[in-house]
Amino acid sequence: MVETIAHLMLKTGLDNFVATNDWVWPVCEILHFFGMAAIIGTVGLVDARMLGIGKGIPIASLERFVPIGVLGLLLNVITGFIFVAGNPVGGPQEYLTNLAFLTKMTLIVIAGVNLLVFYAFGIARIANATAPDGSAPLSAKVVAAVSLIAWFGVIFFGRFIMYNDTLLNALGL
Amino acid sequence: MIDAIENSAYAVWVRESPSIWAYTTILSLHAMGLAIIVGINTIVALRLLGYVPDIPINKLRQLYPWMYVGFTINAFSGLSLLAANLSNDLHNWMFYVKLTMILCAMINLELTKVRVFDTPAVINGTGVPAEAHRFAIASMVFWSLAICAGRLVEYPNFVEKWVGMLFGH
Repeated sequence: MVETIAHLMLKTGLDNFVATNDWVWPVCEILHFFGMAAIIGTVGLVDARMLGIGKGIPIASLERFVPIGVLGLLLNVITGFIFVAGNPVGGPQEYLTNLAFLTKMTLIVIAGVNLLVFYAFGIARIANATAPDGSAPLSAKVVAAVSLIAWFGVIFFGRFIMYNDTLLNALGL
Repeated sequence: MIDAIENSAYAVWVRESPSIWAYTTILSLHAMGLAIIVGINTIVALRLLGYVPDIPINKLRQLYPWMYVGFTINAFSGLSLLAANLSNDLHNWMFYVKLTMILCAMINLELTKVRVFDTPAVINGTGVPAEAHRFAIASMVFWSLAICAGRLVEYPNFVEKWVGMLFGH
């Protein structure tokens, strides 16, 4: 399966694009960090508020910044795809078989499912009804904690992609 | 002096230890701290610019300690990474650009506290000083440039080439 995905990614020609334009990688790195800050600043702040930080700020109002986080995520999916498909050293396979990368992707999926649970099970509705200086319900706190752990985990394992051997070594693999 | 720092037990541990808690974890803490301080700063700035007006501005004041948490994480992780890589960083001018931008951003953050958040109008919720807009824009500009410079610290050859091409030397 890794071979198939890698093959499809190479069809985009991004490897050639990255190899012949030295600005692509650094610029995407910069944008990837902008996207990261946008996600943590918006989604992370809503999570923090639901956990009791910043009382007096209405949760529903804070949520209105979340579209900026969604833009950040979109930016990071695009730049992330360029990193994987355009990887000049070892190609997409290098990423697709990298434990840190796969853990990062898993955590993004967990954060996504967590968000679906937040909206689909009516937790968002109850959380938004919280008084500006009130406490969010326990269900919202659980969602918030999972979200924060997942997103900071994404950053942690994201940085480990380039140091995958350290991770494997620590796990005795 | 530089050699002594770079060869100190701590710097060697950060740089060379195979432990999962050494170099890479410190690197990831640096990214987390960035996300916290820049993330919160940006939301505060957007509110000062008038977005989501139903958030009471004086309530954002309590986010300051959390920005300091982000800053402290990054001062600690940044100094650790600097010690581990001292001579390289000191010869990388983009590193100085990054530090300058962070210094400007932190001064701006403190000025915002004194000249916006600690004014009676904001405390009583009756208004916002006109200069709040300027602090907000400055905050976003300084942090954006700090991120750009911080990332470019890792690509000195690329920076030299493009600066040479653009400014012809």
